[in-house]
Amino acid sequence: MKAGKLTRLALLTALALIIFIVELHFPNLIPLPGVKLGLANIITVYAVYKYSPKEVALIVVARLILGALLAGNFSALMYSGAGATLCLAGMLLFKKVIPYRYIWLSSIVGAILHNTGQIIVAVLIIGPFVVVSYYPILIISGCIAGAFTGICAQLLLKRDMPERCS
Amino acid sequence: MLIGSFIVIILNLRKSDNMHVVVLQDNKVIYSFDLSDEKDRTFRIECPNGGWNDVKIEDGTICIIDADCPDKTCVHTGVLRYEGVPIVCLPHKLVIRFANKENS
Repeated sequence: MKAGKLTRLALLTALALIIFIVELHFPNLIPLPGVKLGLANIITVYAVYKYSPKEVALIVVARLILGALLAGNFSALMYSGAGATLCLAGMLLFKKVIPYRYIWLSSIVGAILHNTGQIIVAVLIIGPFVVVSYYPILIISGCIAGAFTGICAQLLLKRDMPERCS
Repeated sequence: MLIGSFIVIILNLRKSDNMHVVVLQDNKVIYSFDLSDEKDRTFRIECPNGGWNDVKIEDGTICIIDADCPDKTCVHTGVLRYEGVPIVCLPHKLVIRFANKENS
């Protein structure tokens, strides 16, 4: 990997971490486990459309581990790890189908897949009732949060490569 | 999928008319209360892997008032109110929810 590329990926990881930490201090409107805006995923969505799958995976893994360290919440790593894996796999597939003009759609798909991953871990850890109790809430909140982060990422990418996004 | 989610959420948000509450840790029932005749008190639930949650019972309601986890989502969730929305503390695998008397 070239030094320039490495630096850019590191910069994106740092940006995602800063957004993640700042968001931790926002008061949560719906205080249920798993419901949050996930603003750091603006960087993930941006990276999915800008870099190769391997490079995106590097950014996301680094952010997850460093984020858990900085937030002091290691048990969250299982949930976010499972969510991120599903989400990335889905988004990298959907990137081939969804054109650059509809990045927000791919972000919504990613958000729902992320929540699905979290629910699967939650079923294994605290029991199957979470599917009925929390999955619907997570799907709706995921759609809203995913649309928001997707639109942010799309605006970013539009400035970055205007010819592909118009 | 969205419409289905909305329907399930609305069903979940029924206020519970049943006062029977169970506390589960690691998928096992560790307490079982009938809130209508439970004395007001605060007690601590220790997690075997370290960590604790302070649970408060007051006037027939139950909530977690403090915990030593970093995000305190369970504290912010507030009082247990709805049939389908339990209080959950993911780091300590603690769940407080309404239950039917027969199957608890």
